[in-house]
Amino acid sequence: MNSFDLLKKHYENRSMAAMEWKLKGRKVVGYIGDDVPEEMIIAAGFLPVRMCGDPGSDMAEADKFSESFYDPSVRSILNMLLTDKYNFLDYIIFSHSNDAVLKLYHQLWWINNLNPDISFPPVHLFDILHTKYLTTGLYVRGEVQKLKTKLEEWSGKTISNEMLSESIALVNGNRNLLKKIEKLRFVEPALISGTDALQIIGSSMFMHKQDHSRLLEQFLNLPDQLSAKKGIRLHIEGSDIDNNEFYNIIESCGAVIVNERNSWGNTYFQDNVDESCDPLEAIAERYHLRPSRYRIQSLEETALYCLHSTTVAKAQGTIFFLTEGDPAPTWDVPGQKKALEENNIPAHNLNNQKYFINDIDRTVIKTEVKNFLKSIKNI
Amino acid sequence: MKKIKNTNKQTNPGHKRSVKQLKVSAITSEYQKEWFRNTRKRLAAGEPFCLANADTPHEIFLTMDDIPFVATQWWSAIISAKQMSAYYFDKMNEEGYQKNICRYCTLPLACAMDHHPVKAPWGGLPNPTLILAQLSCDEQTKIFEQMAHEYNCKFFALEYPAPAPNYPRWWEKVENDWEEVIGAQALDLRVEELKELIRFLETTTARTFSYKKFGEIMELENQQEEYLKKIRDLLAKVRPCPVGLPDQLATTMNLQWHRGTQWGLDHAKMFYEEIKNKADKGDSVCKNEKIRLMWIGRGLWHNTAFYQYFEKQYGAVFTNSMYLSIAADGYIRNPRGDYLRALASRHMFMGYCLRDPEWQLKEALNYGVDGAIMIVASNCIDSVGNMFISMTLEKAGIPVLPIYADAVDAREWDDESIKALVSKFIEERCIGSK
Ligand code: SF4
Repeated sequence: MNSFDLLKKHYENRSMAAMEWKLKGRKVVGYIGDDVPEEMIIAAGFLPVRMCGDPGSDMAEADKFSESFYDPSVRSILNMLLTDKYNFLDYIIFSHSNDAVLKLYHQLWWINNLNPDISFPPVHLFDILHTKYLTTGLYVRGEVQKLKTKLEEWSGKTISNEMLSESIALVNGNRNLLKKIEKLRFVEPALISGTDALQIIGSSMFMHKQDHSRLLEQFLNLPDQLSAKKGIRLHIEGSDIDNNEFYNIIESCGAVIVNERNSWGNTYFQDNVDESCDPLEAIAERYHLRPSRYRIQSLEETALYCLHSTTVAKAQGTIFFLTEGDPAPTWDVPGQKKALEENNIPAHNLNNQKYFINDIDRTVIKTEVKNFLKSIKNI
Repeated sequence: MKKIKNTNKQTNPGHKRSVKQLKVSAITSEYQKEWFRNTRKRLAAGEPFCLANADTPHEIFLTMDDIPFVATQWWSAIISAKQMSAYYFDKMNEEGYQKNICRYCTLPLACAMDHHPVKAPWGGLPNPTLILAQLSCDEQTKIFEQMAHEYNCKFFALEYPAPAPNYPRWWEKVENDWEEVIGAQALDLRVEELKELIRFLETTTARTFSYKKFGEIMELENQQEEYLKKIRDLLAKVRPCPVGLPDQLATTMNLQWHRGTQWGLDHAKMFYEEIKNKADKGDSVCKNEKIRLMWIGRGLWHNTAFYQYFEKQYGAVFTNSMYLSIAADGYIRNPRGDYLRALASRHMFMGYCLRDPEWQLKEALNYGVDGAIMIVASNCIDSVGNMFISMTLEKAGIPVLPIYADAVDAREWDDESIKALVSKFIEERCIGSK
């Protein structure tokens, strides 16, 4: 099995690394959202595993305890927790990255309160807030300190600055390698498809960073594996996508996805933690103020970011993928589209998309995307 | 200023205003209209003006020589009551915003985006100096930012730290031990933000913030909320119910917009005395009261007549909602020597307290209701978690009927079928269980 196949395997079998880790008698921390500092979990000696939903399974258990009209990928996590799919987790860290995740955090408490026989691993909320102001920065600093204390309590060990610096270097190293993957998409023609890129990036969230970086290096050292990807170059904006089904569909229509605003894709590894200063300060600063952080961007900034992401990757068009139950990104769309239009970049909306894409949805998406691609070709 | 006639002729036969019973309702509602006319005059004269969410510290505006403000929810209710929500939402959809955007907080934005003062209720809002909101949900940020853009003014965002999943029996503690309920870290942040807000207003409006005056406002407000608490305690006890939900909702809200003023206190007293008088005389909204119902969620502003519909048919009376109950349980603060910190504690987790299943159950038991109707807006994240309210009440033997509808968007309100649903619920689950 070559390095890419292994990465892919980890993307498909998301608990594989965690199971191996546990066999060594070590503990696994699940986390939700892209605002949780993995560096700190690693420094505490745990394996961080980003939690995701399962579009293939039903929501029968989640339906018993939660409304059906909010982010289905987060609801799906609830369903997985209730059906023991995450029984390998020792702890869970939630971030206040959006309402849905915060709701899930509350739901676990209420489910247990009303049904004491249903229990979950110990949880912690990393309450990262949402303005760029100093007052928020100071609050986030406090939250980083609280998270450190919680991790120390869980591990029974003090986390030293050396341990933090080491894990920061490890995660930054992984980010730097992923940036090389990004470059391979930005070149013309692209040398990696969007579907493959999602798997390479995503597997980093389920594996030990050292192992992931090693496989990435192997992959990057064998450029023969790469081939030119033909097709109309697209950038994807909108809701986070924790699986590659949508990319598969788009790329099967004759497009190649060269960039995305998606915390499961290229947004994941932007903005390194500063290695030149106090590690906790650097972590607080990165997670609060990183330029790529969606939550602190104004409407104007999301428009500029969208335009930049499209042009830097030399994409010929942008598709907005907006899942039902995830309304926040829809507010950015009119401004983002305007910015693209002013620069003669075509854009297309896919509104109210399902988390689980069935055959009918697939046909509809394909038709819309093919028409969009045709319109780009005709320009 | 010339009064601009509302030329919008849209009406919807399904949506009716309720019949009000209380004198104080008429007085407070007339005062609110007069206040708005007056506010418009003040703005035309060049005074600063703030557009602020209901769950923000209006007390600050009041302290600073009464900087005029309009609460977005109140404005939303006005637009809705004028039957204009459908017109505005259609307009937003035309502008490229999705059909399923949330409604409650969006209506004022939709109105602002229309830039059509002749169509807007009361001639529309002038450009504010400042827009103020807590970032209590993801969309709030976007809506208020866009609104500031439309009005070409600043948006002052107050952070919303995550509330704990539960603070047991907060209503017994929040008056005195608010520091413990809210937590020092969140309060520290909010106090800093309030100071920044005050400094911003001081520098942009050249008005001063008198701490002494602020203290007086906070004390007046406590007294006013004490009356609302007395009303709540009285209404919970008295059978049959002496005053219906339409009066309760309208008057409580009109009083809350003027909390901290002598007028607010005087009229809260009047509100109490009028109800007390009715109770003493044995007056009731429905002589034949058989079923007591609780309304859970936002007020049905576009159709307050709905609340009275079931009285004749079933003797079913809507006795209570969160509006009066939160005034009673959520506002009063013992300042403990720090009015600013006490104010910070007032709004921080109010939205969360309102949806606390245990508090809802406490109020259901307090009023002795036979059932609860819960409005669930599936476009609003705040509705997520409502199932726990249902479960908690049902577990205690109180049946709950969720109705999936929007409190301000009349387009999706199917009056006949919802009435049928509630009728069936009353027949099968409320009468049946008696
Ligand atoms: S989701 Fe609900 S609370 Fe949030 S802005 Fe929309 S209507 Fe308001």
